[in-house]
Amino acid sequence: MALFAVFQTTFLLTLLSLRTHQSEVLAEHLPLTPEALKVSVNSAQQCLHLQWTVHNLPYNQEFKMIFQIQISRTETSNVIWMGNYSTTMKRNETVHWSWESELPLECAAHFVRIRSVVDDARFPEWNFWSSWSSWQEVNVQDSTGQDTLFVFPKDKLVEEGSNITICYISGNIQNDISCYLEGEQIHGEQLDPHVSTFKLENVPFIRKGGTNIYCEEKQRKAISNGTVLFVSKVLEEPKDFSCETRDFKTLICTWDPGANTALDWSKQPSQSYTLFESYSGKKKHCEEKNRCNWQITQDSQEIYNFTLITENYLRKRSVNLLFNLTHRVHPMSPFSVQFENISATSAVMTWKVHSLGDYFTLLCQVELHGEGKMIQHNVSVKANGKYLLNELEPNTEYVAQVHCADDNHFWKWSEWSGRDFTTPEAAPSEAPDVWRTMKSGSHNVTLFWKPLSKFHANGKILFYNVAVENLDKPSRLEHRSIPAPANSTELTLDGCSYQIRVTASNSAGASPAAVIVVSAAPGNKEIEEEIIEGTEDGFSMSWKPQSGDVMGYVVEWCDRPQDPLCDFQWKKLGPNTTSTVISSDAFRPGVQYNFRIYELSTKRIAHLLERKTGYTRELAPSDNPHVVTNNLTSHSFTLSWKNYSTKSQPAFIRGYHVYLKSKEEQCQPGAEKAVLPDDTVCCQYKIDNPEQKTFTVENLKPESFYEFLVTPHTSFSEGPSGTFTKVRTPDEYPYMLVHVIVPVVICVVLLVCGCLLKSQWMKDKCYPDIPDPYKSSVLSLIKSKENPHRTIMSISDCIPDAIEVVNKQEGSKIQSLGTRKSLTEPELTKLSYLYLLPTEKNYSGPGPCICFENYTYNQAASDCASCGHAPVSPEAPPSQWGLLTSSENLLKALEKNYMNSLGEIPAGETTLNYVSQLASPMSGDKDSLSTNALVPPPCSEYKMQMAVPLCLASPPPTENSDLSSITLLGPSEHYR
Amino acid sequence: MDMSWDSWGMLACLCTVLWHLPAVPALNRTGDPGPGPSIQKTYDLTRYLEHQLRSLAGTYLNYLGPPFNEPDFNPPRLGADTLPRATVNLEVWRSLNDKLRLTQNYEAYSHLLCYLRGLNRQAATAELRHSLAHFCTSLQGLLGSIAGVMATLGYPLPQPLPGTEPTWTPGPAHSDFLQKMDDFWLLKELQTWLWRSAKDFNRLKKKMQPPAAAVTLHLEAHGF
Repeated sequence: MALFAVFQTTFLLTLLSLRTHQSEVLAEHLPLTPEALKVSVNSAQQCLHLQWTVHNLPYNQEFKMIFQIQISRTETSNVIWMGNYSTTMKRNETVHWSWESELPLECAAHFVRIRSVVDDARFPEWNFWSSWSSWQEVNVQDSTGQDTLFVFPKDKLVEEGSNITICYISGNIQNDISCYLEGEQIHGEQLDPHVSTFKLENVPFIRKGGTNIYCEEKQRKAISNGTVLFVSKVLEEPKDFSCETRDFKTLICTWDPGANTALDWSKQPSQSYTLFESYSGKKKHCEEKNRCNWQITQDSQEIYNFTLITENYLRKRSVNLLFNLTHRVHPMSPFSVQFENISATSAVMTWKVHSLGDYFTLLCQVELHGEGKMIQHNVSVKANGKYLLNELEPNTEYVAQVHCADDNHFWKWSEWSGRDFTTPEAAPSEAPDVWRTMKSGSHNVTLFWKPLSKFHANGKILFYNVAVENLDKPSRLEHRSIPAPANSTELTLDGCSYQIRVTASNSAGASPAAVIVVSAAPGNKEIEEEIIEGTEDGFSMSWKPQSGDVMGYVVEWCDRPQDPLCDFQWKKLGPNTTSTVISSDAFRPGVQYNFRIYELSTKRIAHLLERKTGYTRELAPSDNPHVVTNNLTSHSFTLSWKNYSTKSQPAFIRGYHVYLKSKEEQCQPGAEKAVLPDDTVCCQYKIDNPEQKTFTVENLKPESFYEFLVTPHTSFSEGPSGTFTKVRTPDEYPYMLVHVIVPVVICVVLLVCGCLLKSQWMKDKCYPDIPDPYKSSVLSLIKSKENPHRTIMSISDCIPDAIEVVNKQEGSKIQSLGTRKSLTEPELTKLSYLYLLPTEKNYSGPGPCICFENYTYNQAASDCASCGHAPVSPEAPPSQWGLLTSSENLLKALEKNYMNSLGEIPAGETTLNYVSQLASPMSGDKDSLSTNALVPPPCSEYKMQMAVPLCLASPPPTENSDLSSITLLGPSEHYR
Repeated sequence: MDMSWDSWGMLACLCTVLWHLPAVPALNRTGDPGPGPSIQKTYDLTRYLEHQLRSLAGTYLNYLGPPFNEPDFNPPRLGADTLPRATVNLEVWRSLNDKLRLTQNYEAYSHLLCYLRGLNRQAATAELRHSLAHFCTSLQGLLGSIAGVMATLGYPLPQPLPGTEPTWTPGPAHSDFLQKMDDFWLLKELQTWLWRSAKDFNRLKKKMQPPAAAVTLHLEAHGF
């Protein structure tokens, strides 16, 4: 047994070794190494196309074989890819296989070799790898030794978002090279000293003209070469692919094509679209990008299976659509839409449809648009459609339209077909809303009515009819027709009760009448006004319900109370309503609105129930009252603002605040200290009665300044902080003086009167009469002793020979004031003398003269002791002056005199000076003056004006001589 | 006395000038205008085309994208050697006779127009196509205008040698990038040619103008 086992093992081992040996022999004798390996290149595709054969395959039958392929780059040892390719082949059959390179094939040399193995269960003995074929080199671009830079791939077409590798081959170029993509530098890796590669990932679509990639030598800064990468948008699958027929002749297929993938430079046209129908096997190239028409043949094909194929150079996509033709009927729009029997409330609409065959029924939908409303009706139609449109409004424009769809298998509505029409007018359906206002104390009634709504007017209102009927005594109805669009009329009635009926009429008829009764007794008793609070939304008000039969209530108001027309409004309410909200777009904050609530009796007579007033929102008063100060005394004054109207204010005036500023720190009783917005402290008096428009400020100090401000206040604010008005309290003393002085004056007057009455007594006591020399006892004594002819000279006997007229001009005055030197100049001497000469022409001797110049109170003038002056012509030569002014004293005296006279007498005036010569004291210079012959002798002291002889040395005045000159009077003879 | 004689002399001269004025060819509007107006017209057309090209080149280079629309882009003239060169040595340019000057212009624009039509075939946008077509028409007008000037001056039009007709069919090795560079050079060369033509026709214009000053001098000589 053991021997048998050993034998068996030995036999098996021998057999195994024999088999191995046989295989080795087969391998040696049947080499299955691929032969005739040919490699071709598709540069654009970056593909290596390999083809080979295996000559040594036994038998002429197919073998399942595996080929192992190795691809090396740059050098054979650098295997970059190895893979198996399984196929079945016969002996000598050529096998084709392609490999796509990531790197452009121009960038580097590639080497390919193949070995094979029979992978066939029938021939397990051949299941061993053949030896490798020899390396096959693929060298697309031989750039060695060239001075040109190449960039690959050339003009490559890729899809957006794909990854691509580019390279440049620099050849003999030694400079550094930089590459850019649309101006942005890209960085790569060096494959060998002359080749660099750049991997671009997720390339974007930039333009149809391609993305420029270029390289330049850094030193030269000149672009050496580049390539254009044509990036196509990704071809999208057609969306919303759908087919339908409108006439059973043509199928219209539509879709959304998505982005156009066309590129310029003939790189890629727009994607194409092809329709393929699988049942018929027909295909159609579509001219348009989003639709295609398919002719329906007469072979009554019902089911269609369409495939829409779209493709460009890079991609192919398709969508499928399977449908029954009868389920994809999209009827054409109806036609011949007509309206028949159009009345105010109804019309008949008719239309026609395109026939789809006897078996087809269409569902049509009629839509009626009018007055902002839309009504829809469905109608089943074979060929002609008809529908009654009712419940229409009179005088209304309607648009009716219809569209249809397949009633059996709804697919799509057709387009709308429609027309418009207008219903004729009908009589107004409702009476106008009428109300009235009555002027108190007169029988004038103004009727107001609101225009009927379009819904109730049923047409254009042409006029309103007003019929007035006297209820108290039978009389004819008074009719009045008021053309629209008037909304009021005025009626003058007498003291009777009247029923007024108002109707509105259009072309179709009149409306029901609105009836209102104007009572003889208005009965508008005085009703107190109630203040109500309004809001932005209006005024909410309520009233007490009335017992008895009430038809309703009416609230009336004015939307614009400030306007004379006031925009009268009213609101009618039902009998069970006792509250309402009155709102209006016209309501404005700060405007006081007054409301009257009337009760309408069953007899349609209105009675005033309540009055309300309020603001939607009270505003702060914008003005302060104009205040007048009255009764100003040293201790009080009264403020009055009676012109201030509380009604026209933007809020209910609740009272006033009187602010008083003074130097006093304490406020008077009744006042409070208040701090103003400007932080000043003052006293505040509060007046809570808005109708109290006067206020007396008391307990003031005399001769003190006070400032006051009166401002209204409402429930929430007060008027603006305006300027304070100043008041000064007067002094107390004038009053006292009046009380003292008046009695004193009266006393004095009485005393004077008394004195006057006793004048003679007073005269005798105070200033007795001067004794008359004629009557003097002394005279009688003289007469008897000395000269019986001597008489006392009477003044009336004196003949005046000269009147001194002093003429002083302004210029001379000014000059004399300016400088004394000018006084010596003759032209400035403006003293004028009017000589009153004796009546006798030949009179030349010394005569009496009257001198009106008074030097009595002039010390200097008195030095001359003479009232005589010689008139000197201004043209007088200086020699003459020399004569005249030989005495310096005299000259000085004259100067002083002129100075005084010029200074005292107003310029330009000519003055006659009459001065009594009561006292003319002689000066001490009298002697010196007497030495000058021309100087008149000194005058004696006289108590009275005396007649003096004409001055001896005075030259006669010439006609031309200026009277303004120094006059030296001649020596006068003085009589005692 | 001398002054008076001089005044009479001047008046006589003036009268003589006025008498002879209608006989001066340059001022005689009723006679043959000569090549002057057509040269002026051609000159104006070059200026107009220059302006038009400025706009077209901006649009087209933007269409090509960077770096072709960059202001300092100056690519090597790789494939543009077939384009007629406008640049010429100044002395050579000065020494050109009228016939040669006009012939060079005519030949250059003939070639450039042909290339430009190739450009039109590649442009995809309708707006660009329209602009190119418009410019081609204008350039065709310029060619006609130059031909008119040549005909006026009695110069024959240059006949293209058979087989030398320029074509716009780049070889398979000609990449789109190089094509874009050629387009750039085409526009640039076209612009240079328009500048040169403006100078050429300006020179011709001046040359063809009748020497008015000489006429005056001549008349003066007659007068005195």
